[in-house]
Amino acid sequence: MPELPELNPVIHGKLRLALLSLLAGVDEAEFTWLRAKTGSTDGNLGAQLLKLEEAGYVSVEKKFVQRKPQTLYRMTETGRAALTEYVQALRQLLGGAIGD
Amino acid sequence: MTEIVEQELKDRLKLIETMIAEGRRTTESWGWVFVFWGVAYYIAIAWTAFNQWPWAWLVTMMAAWIMCWAIIRSKRKNQPKQSPGTTIGRAIYSIWAAMGVSLCLLLPALGFSGRFNQHVFVAIVAAMLAVANGASGMILRWKAQIASAMVWWAAAVAACFGSDNQCTVVFVVAIFFCQIVFGIYGMILESRLRRQEAVHA
Repeated sequence: MPELPELNPVIHGKLRLALLSLLAGVDEAEFTWLRAKTGSTDGNLGAQLLKLEEAGYVSVEKKFVQRKPQTLYRMTETGRAALTEYVQALRQLLGGAIGD
Repeated sequence: MTEIVEQELKDRLKLIETMIAEGRRTTESWGWVFVFWGVAYYIAIAWTAFNQWPWAWLVTMMAAWIMCWAIIRSKRKNQPKQSPGTTIGRAIYSIWAAMGVSLCLLLPALGFSGRFNQHVFVAIVAAMLAVANGASGMILRWKAQIASAMVWWAAAVAACFGSDNQCTVVFVVAIFFCQIVFGIYGMILESRLRRQEAVHA
């Protein structure tokens, strides 16, 4: 497997990248909405969101709306900066590939 | 760099673009609001024409605003899975809210000051609706809404000329195209989108 040293490994995972990209376009999103958009299972989604939370890329808010639990995820400024850097790194690598 | 890696990187970029666009897609329906307000304008025009009551517009618009608010509230209550808010959504809502406030302040002020007349009324309403439709259309890059704004701008200019009857005809025609036809077109697009979502779910 070829090495990709310049790409952030936390973001590079497909589901984590999809989650960060989804959160980049909205103010905040419910767990159920993210599950519907990515088509992933509860367990996998929860695990990947936890990794993003531990990296400081997303923040979580748990609350009750009409007595029902609701988990809201927001992208942090660190997460936005990391995604921007990741996209720039991707473009650089692809630019290099075109020149090869 | 191997072709496999290059393809993988391209797939990642594509995934980012798709997901950002997916996040911004909204399932909320707004086409009916255009039709609703179009009908409300027609009721106010008809009421004023047949009854000559000076408060017909104010009463109809207030009743329409309350009904519209109640319908939106009830729709949101019955729709458990809402789309999350987006910056674009907030920008468009702000434009329409600001337009509503401007009309609510300006038109009664013109009425109370005695400087109100049909031409000024139609020109102001048409220009305000043109600004809101134009700004929304440019944000959404939606040509149909930009076309609707152009019709309103043309109506605003046309309202400055001609007789009272011609002014009314201009207003009625603009409402038909920009509220009724555009609203129905929006409803058709929304229903197509909902059908596509149901297939993918």
